[in-house]
Amino acid sequence: MSSPSPARAAIVLLLALGGCDRESREPRGRPLPETGPQIAPQRTAMMNGVPVPTTEDPRADDYEGNAYHVAQGYRYFAWMNCSGCHANGGGGMGPPLMDDEWRYGGSMEQIAATIIQGRPNGMPSYRGRVTEQQVWQLAAFVRSLSAQNRQDVLPGRTDAPRNTEPQTLQEPQPVVETGVANDSASQE
Amino acid sequence: MASRRQILLASLVALLVAAAAIGALFLSRSEPPPDERPSAPLGREVLAPLPQPEARSVVAPAAARTEDGQWTMAGGDYASTRYSGLDQINVSNARRLQLVFSFPTGVSRGHEAAPLVVGSTMYIVTPFPNYVYALDLTRPQNPLKWVFRPQPRQAAQGVACCDVVNRGAAYADGRIFFNTLDGQTIALDAETGRQMWRTQLGNINIGETITMAPLVAEGRVLVGNSGGEFGVRGWLAALDAATGAVAWRAYSTGPDADVLIGPNFRPFYPQERGRDLGVHSWHPEGWRLGGGNAWGWISYDPETHLIFYGTGNPGPWNPEQRPGDNKWTAGLFARDVRTGEARWFYQSSPHDLFDHDDINESILLDMPVGGRRRQVLVRPGRTGYMYVMDRNTGEVLSADPFAHINSLRGVDLHTGRPIPVPEKAPRSGRVIRNICPASPGGKDWNPSAFSPRTGLLYVPHINLCMDHGVSEANYIAGTPYIGAESRMFAGPGGHRGVLTAWDPVGRRPVWRIREDLPLWSGALATGGDLVFYGTMDGWFRAVDARSGEVVWQFRTESGIIGQPVSYRGPDGRQYIAILSGVGGWAGAIVSNALHPADPTAGLGFVNATRDLPGRTRAGGRLYVFALPR
Amino acid sequence: MIARRAFALSLAFLLGGCSGIQSALGRDGRHGEIFGGLFAIFLAVTLFVYLIVIAFLLAGIFRRRGKRQDGLPDEEGESREASLRKGLIGWAAFIALGLSVLTVASFVADRLMAQASGPDPLRIQIVAHQWWWEVRYEDADPSRTFRTANELHLPVGVPVQITLMSNDVIHSFWVPNLAGKQDLIPGRTTQIALHPTREGVYRGQCAEYCGLQHARMALDVTVEPVAAFRTWRTQQLLPAPLPRTPLQQAGLRYVETRECGACHSIVGTRASGQVAPDLTHLASRRTIGAGTYPMSRGHLYAWVADPQSAKPGNRMPHIPLEPDQLHAIVAYLETLR
Repeated sequence: MSSPSPARAAIVLLLALGGCDRESREPRGRPLPETGPQIAPQRTAMMNGVPVPTTEDPRADDYEGNAYHVAQGYRYFAWMNCSGCHANGGGGMGPPLMDDEWRYGGSMEQIAATIIQGRPNGMPSYRGRVTEQQVWQLAAFVRSLSAQNRQDVLPGRTDAPRNTEPQTLQEPQPVVETGVANDSASQE
Repeated sequence: MASRRQILLASLVALLVAAAAIGALFLSRSEPPPDERPSAPLGREVLAPLPQPEARSVVAPAAARTEDGQWTMAGGDYASTRYSGLDQINVSNARRLQLVFSFPTGVSRGHEAAPLVVGSTMYIVTPFPNYVYALDLTRPQNPLKWVFRPQPRQAAQGVACCDVVNRGAAYADGRIFFNTLDGQTIALDAETGRQMWRTQLGNINIGETITMAPLVAEGRVLVGNSGGEFGVRGWLAALDAATGAVAWRAYSTGPDADVLIGPNFRPFYPQERGRDLGVHSWHPEGWRLGGGNAWGWISYDPETHLIFYGTGNPGPWNPEQRPGDNKWTAGLFARDVRTGEARWFYQSSPHDLFDHDDINESILLDMPVGGRRRQVLVRPGRTGYMYVMDRNTGEVLSADPFAHINSLRGVDLHTGRPIPVPEKAPRSGRVIRNICPASPGGKDWNPSAFSPRTGLLYVPHINLCMDHGVSEANYIAGTPYIGAESRMFAGPGGHRGVLTAWDPVGRRPVWRIREDLPLWSGALATGGDLVFYGTMDGWFRAVDARSGEVVWQFRTESGIIGQPVSYRGPDGRQYIAILSGVGGWAGAIVSNALHPADPTAGLGFVNATRDLPGRTRAGGRLYVFALPR
Repeated sequence: MIARRAFALSLAFLLGGCSGIQSALGRDGRHGEIFGGLFAIFLAVTLFVYLIVIAFLLAGIFRRRGKRQDGLPDEEGESREASLRKGLIGWAAFIALGLSVLTVASFVADRLMAQASGPDPLRIQIVAHQWWWEVRYEDADPSRTFRTANELHLPVGVPVQITLMSNDVIHSFWVPNLAGKQDLIPGRTTQIALHPTREGVYRGQCAEYCGLQHARMALDVTVEPVAAFRTWRTQQLLPAPLPRTPLQQAGLRYVETRECGACHSIVGTRASGQVAPDLTHLASRRTIGAGTYPMSRGHLYAWVADPQSAKPGNRMPHIPLEPDQLHAIVAYLETLR
């Protein structure tokens, strides 16, 4: 009987630890505390021949890749009455959130901007009504409605009576990122 | 003797032939390609003989109108009969009806309005942004006389529960009165389209909108708000037709002073009597978010100066959060139009469980009940019961089901209260299955028509049941205050829409047409013994008022949820006009482009209309039909 | 030495559950009394049997054993068997008697507890959330119902019927001084009856693990004379008083229009959120955060400024408040008696 090699054990341990951030929690949000609206306003993708740089918030990935934040987003989706207009992603008074059409952009930053600023055709502004951490959590959940998060982060089953398929079984509907102009022809 | 190989070959061939036969059988049973789908109703049944002439109701004389070829209010007349006495188009010649004119409204949402015709001008109101078009009927191709663009606030679209509809305008004294989605009532000069006055009545920041068609009576413009899904406190207001100033406003919840309940309030049933019931039948301060919006139809009896209108659902949908009877929601008010004071009230859904607003139309009739002639109103209720009520006292004379109901056992006529079925009551954390009728009820807002010639009430309605789950609703002003999820599906029989010809004296259906899709359009009855209605996939149909047989139909570009009207043109011909443009609560999957994978979308309607996007598309067009010269 | 210290420690531990406001042996309610009586009977019977067993064990250990040299059986062997058999029957009968006593006592106690709640009880509905108790006092007149959070006031000597529901996961209602445990299960309704007989302040606790802050889900139970209860109830039915000073008014404005009102309700104001505890009479409660902090000005500041440090993971988010906003909010909350 040979003893398991320490190298193998170390590899297994490292792999196991790799999944640990899935549920890591920062109850206050990072950095401490989150103040001020640092969410990008909605930008146009057209700027007279000049490529428009995308604004990416470094916090977006932290929230989108964390199962706890997506679950909290699901809770606030009901609490803040998002489901009253958007149902479970299918829409109603508001447009559907589970398809691949995004009127105001489908990236984390753009969704967060929409929630905070509201939109002219009836999306109310939640500025001052929810904290910035809650906005990111909501944006992470909205992304999950079109199954865009990592598979291990998507909520698989809800405890509430629902009639839609769990997001883990949905086809992901990736968003075509707006705001990126890589066309070299435009730089002439 | 055949060799083994030959036997094998033969059996293989036989197997292939059998497989092909079975396959052909299955293929032949599959759905026909979309454009070959049936263009007729699913079926029709005749259930009872037509009422005898002496057993027919007559329209309440004071509220009726003499036929003048016009259509000046959505209901046709103050009794809400939606009946046109014109008989040039009748059962024998209706098959020759042809399209003579169409006009695109430029808006592609749900068109629920009734076109008005006053003199030689037609007026239509579109869904948001609520354009008002006046068409000159004297010139060929009915050119545009004027257009008025009220420019309501865009954000109002976000607080409209059931598509951004508008149910039409009203005409009186040379003015056109209509409401905008963001809560304004506007008066225009009917001839020039110039704005006479504009009054802001609603506040979109608390979720309040206005979608109803106003009614003008005794110099008062009657307007009610919407917002029962937003915790908006409901009211009915009377504006002075000349100036737009608010003469009175009667709330649907709260203390008696707000509800305009005074010494002349004499409800028939004991549960409606008491002081400040609009406060005491709620948990503390619950009445402020109580709903009870008057977004539906108003009838008026000039003889008694009474108006009759219903109040909407209480807020939130989750009944566990609002213990008590929740007065004065989900019931019918009779008020004096001059002062607004309430005369009587009847609550058809105390402590409403299923979003059963009571805003449906009340048709004012004089009819024999129990041997003597009584002044009644007949209303197909949201609960699925056909109520016949004494319109002077509020007594319920009969309540017979016209739809399939398993959530109520009946209405106890001694107490006036519905008898609930406890197993169907929504409870937190559970999904209650197969509740009939669903939230839109046995019949929603789309109005019925009465023909004094046949004595029948033609009721376009639905056959839907639902699974319903409630959860805690949170209140944030300007966002929905619901707390419920449901999904609807076809009721027993599999058909989702029904046109019932109901005999109010005999208290039974006489004939019935079953439609595949829910019926969300109004009905029109004419003197030529025809009934007109439209389907959600665009078919505009004329049926024989006596038998229900389809006599004529025309496929319009979009589903029909509007109210058909009939008028006499300047050339003396009879015309039928209808707005085509699918939407509303039932058609939101098309007009709002909802996603069919979520059955709870559209407040549950998406599950019941999943096939609609394949059968029609959004649009907005006025269609006018007449016989060829 | 170590053994003696260990013994003392364990005694302290054991007795710790026996005293004070959260005592499993408390007899402050009718159900508690009945159960206490049953416990005493069980203790007596089993202690007696235990002592006999120990006695025989000790006798067995220390008795001198004699043996015949040649291993031949005794003459007295036969009568010894008979006496052994008699002893066996005797002891079996004795044990059967003991068990019957326990069974009958158990049955009687159960019947007594079922009848302990009298007619016309005070009706309360408790909905458990993660990690707070929503308490609704019911009444035949719906406008005389009210909501509070994390506290129960009960009149002494009046039976109480509590309907238990849960909003999310399984919790358990346990006020040991008054009665036993009863689970609150999402999707189901359970009931528990109480009948407090002694005035005092007691501590209830969630007794079913329900998440990160299960340990900080206490329920503050006050049993008081009927007149005091009526006064408290009348006070609870009043809406929140109007703020008087500019600072308090600024606090109300913040609470109504910002994050607070989106979740909390204060009757009489525009804050009507339903998902968080009702704050209408917050300042009259004894604790904040379901027992996390005692109610005081400093603790109010601490909770509103950073609820996540006191009770990490709880559903109230950390709201980054400016100092003047914090002053205004706490000034207003202190007026909510």
